[in-house]
This record gives sequence, C-alpha cells and structure tokens, in this order.
Amino acid sequence: MKFENKGIYYIDYPARIKAVQAEMAKNNIDVYLGSRLRTTSWCTDAFFPWRSFIVIPSEGMPTAFTFVIDAARALDDSWLDEDHVMGFAPMGGQDQITQISDMINELLPNGGRVGVEAGMSNYLPEGYLTYYEYNAFKEAMPDCEFVNAHEIIDRLQMIKDIGTINRFREASRIVDVGHEAVLAAIKDGGWKGMTESEIAGIAALAMRKAGSVWEWSFTGGNEIACGYRTGLAGGACTPATCKEIMAGEPLMVDIHGLFGLACGDHTHNYLIGPATERQLWHAKNFVDIVALTLKTYRAGISPSSLAEEMMAFAEERGFSDFMVPGFEHGIGMLGDEWRIGRHDGPFPYWTDPDHCYAENEVLICAMQYACPEEDIGFRYENPILITKDGCEYMSKFPLAVEVIN
Amino acid sequence: MVKYLSNEWQAEVDKQLRAHLSPEKMNNITSSMNNRYLNCPGGGSKFFFVSFADGKVDKVLVGEGEGPKAEFYISGDYEIFAKISRAELGSQKALMGGMLKLKGNMVKALKLASLSDRLNKIIATIETEF
Repeated sequence: MKFENKGIYYIDYPARIKAVQAEMAKNNIDVYLGSRLRTTSWCTDAFFPWRSFIVIPSEGMPTAFTFVIDAARALDDSWLDEDHVMGFAPMGGQDQITQISDMINELLPNGGRVGVEAGMSNYLPEGYLTYYEYNAFKEAMPDCEFVNAHEIIDRLQMIKDIGTINRFREASRIVDVGHEAVLAAIKDGGWKGMTESEIAGIAALAMRKAGSVWEWSFTGGNEIACGYRTGLAGGACTPATCKEIMAGEPLMVDIHGLFGLACGDHTHNYLIGPATERQLWHAKNFVDIVALTLKTYRAGISPSSLAEEMMAFAEERGFSDFMVPGFEHGIGMLGDEWRIGRHDGPFPYWTDPDHCYAENEVLICAMQYACPEEDIGFRYENPILITKDGCEYMSKFPLAVEVIN
Repeated sequence: MVKYLSNEWQAEVDKQLRAHLSPEKMNNITSSMNNRYLNCPGGGSKFFFVSFADGKVDKVLVGEGEGPKAEFYISGDYEIFAKISRAELGSQKALMGGMLKLKGNMVKALKLASLSDRLNKIIATIETEF
C-alpha cells in the first residue's frame, strides 16, 4: 500500500531522480546502477528487503529490480509504475544479471560509463555490489566502463528536504507514544515478572497503533536491556532477550518506529528501585552530558569537536571512563543508518570526524554510558535536525533517568 | 498432420485458438508473445507470434527470422521447443534450467503463466510433424 506522499510529508521523487541525473551528467555517467538499500528507499519510497537494484538512465524514469515474489508488493508501495518495477527469478533470461545487463545494453548500444555502488560498511544491509555481481555485470556488459559513483547519492541524501524532515518528526512522535506505553506498563510494580522482550513488544504494539509499520532497526528491532546488559563495554545490548527485569537494576528502552521510511529512534532509561546513591550519581552524569550535548549541536561543529568538548566535561566531572567517545550516528530514509556525512574521512567508509555539520542534516544523537564493573549503563538516541544555531531534537519524551518504585 | 511452424500449422493454430479461447478464458488480456526458434533444421531461425486484444485472438504469425515486436519473447533452440510441443519436456523446466530465455516483465509474466499453459495445451492437440 502506497504511503500517502502528500501534504507535509510530500517528497518530490521525480525531482530526486532528476537531481541524480544532473549529477550523472556532470560526472560523465550514462547509467547509474544502484544496489544499496539506502538508494532504493531514497529513490522509490518503497522498502526493498530482498537483494535489489535500481537502474537510473541519463533521462527518464528509473527501474527497480527485485526478487520476483516481492516485486508486485514493491510496485504497490512505490511511486514507480508497472513498467518500472521488475522481478527477477532463476529462469532463462530472468536472473538479475541478465535482466539488468539487457536493459543497460539496450540503453547503451555502443557502450558507456556505468556508475555502480562499491565500498564497504559496518552496516550489514548496506548493499554494496558484491565481487561476484561486479564481475558478472562486467562480463555481461563488455562495452561498458564501470566507475564507483555512490558519492552522487550520498551527497544528495545528506541534506534533508522538508518532507523527509516532517516524516522524521512524525516517526519520533510515534516513538514517544511507545515510550508512554512502556512507562505505563512498568510503573507501580508493573515491571515485576516482565522480560526485556515483553517490553519490546509493548512498545511495538503501541507504536504500530500510532502509525508505525516496523521496528526497523536491523540490530534487533526494539533494543531493551536490563541489569548488567545495560553496561556491557561499548554499550550495545542488541537484541532484547528473555532476561527478567529485577529490582535495583537499570533498564534501558531503545525503541524504533518507521513512518514513510523515516526512522524514529529514541532511548529512555530507568532505574528500577530502590536506586542506590551510586546509581543516581551515574544517572545524573548521564542526563547532564546528554543535555549539554543537545545544547551544543549546531551547524558548523564537527563530530570530533563535539566529542572533545563532551569528553572534557566528563573528565571534569569524573565519569569519562564510562563514556563511549562517540556522540552520533548517521540516519536517513530506511537503509541509511551508518556513517555521518560522506565517505571522505581518514578511514574510508567510516564517519569523517572532521565533517562539518550543515543546516538540515538529520542525525541520531547517540550516546553510551557504560560501567561494566557496576552492571550499569545508559543510552541516549534521538534524531536531531541540525539548525543554524542549534538542533531540534525530534523525540520529545522528557530527558531523565526515572526511578521506578 | 501439419508440419511444425509451416503456414498450414499457423492456420490450424489460428483456427483452434479462436475456437477454444474466449476473451473470458483469456481474462480479457491485451498482450503478445514471440517465440524465437534458434538453430532450426536446415539452419537459421524462425518465429511464432501470437497476440491478444481484450482477450480475443488478434494475430497468429509464423515466419523466418526474428518476427514482430512483442511484450514477451521466449527464445531457445528449435529442438527444445519441439520437445515441449511433443510433451517430452515441461516449459517450466526448460525456463528454470536456462534452456529457454524469457524477455519481458516477469511480474506481468507471472500473471499470464496460466493463460500461456491454456494456450499451449490447445496447440498441443494439433497433429504435428516435427
């Protein structure tokens, strides 16, 4: 079913394709062959969970290719028409290499430059072209030259249009509904006998009732941790387990909602009472540094300058040992979930620490506080919109580590 | 008995399809298919083209070479098509095994698979010399 691409959520997809084609022309690329999840989402307004490709000619409509069983569903979701969503299958002439190379060979009868997406990612569903695919396409299109061109999409995706921003705002509102449901379920002793996994389900149901269609995170949907699992070194806890919530332990609730392929993502933290003085000290440290971080984000700063400033604050307050020294990760339409900015930092395909934030970038302010020795940790995640003088944090659930008695 | 892909065979196919395929049976489709026979006996290639307009048989053509444009193309060796027509080989198996190559929108083709079977069954009733 198509997302209602209108009103404040409207995204001009034909204009996006024209923008890609303009960049292709500047880079002498005749056909763009996209394979990343972020590319298919951004170009089609549909989720392509199977291995998929998109062929963007120098002018006119793009064509998406996906596993045949899901092609009709993808067509139903996308703005593309029946002639521009193709299904591939293990059949003579219908496998993905043959279908796509047939189309490109027809578009470029005398050969040409084909832009592909090659690289690496820390994010498994990224979808760069595999070694096999690259060689198979080269063999099937002997007159074409292949060039790495993902930078075109990356540049265009970085600054968000108003429709995308509004979809993120709504996804974040939905996530707040999930947090309200969790709080209502666990307060007044409701947490007793409850597991991480049940909390994940309570949040999921509430968010779906409010308009979410998926707990989109590939790291395990809604990420819930209690007790020692909140404080694992590095701060990750994915996915929620059947561990039971216990008195005197921390509880971290990181939930995800999807609205129009925009990814809602907010983490709220609790201490299941009774809380010790030491736990409350950790909690205050965490809340203070999150508040300061949110106050510091603005256009013109960089991940490294922010990290330096925040780690200095943590050091001064005596809790730098517990901070993971990273404060954000990238975000965009589904599949665009990893690095910040482009791929031009000192370590290819990782965030450039000196990336200069610009107005209308959206990122996840993501912070981890982990003290494995004391079985305690907290996480903060919230999509933020970078503005000229600050940032808009999209989830409005009040910042706190709440003690549940 | 008519010779496979001859003018007589074409006329018989035309007659049988019109007699047995109502627009309702063909789901009122408008589509076309061109079977391209490669490595024919005596060399060269031939085609068998059939089109439907609103479910009615529109054109049935056979001839030398590649034939007219169509929504779907199926190409393969003459002998493979002959085996399918003699019921010695299933068309699905031929496609899945890469013996035949289908060109066209697979999503649309899926919707037409049962209609194609209906058409092939009628053609298979014609007494044919290969």
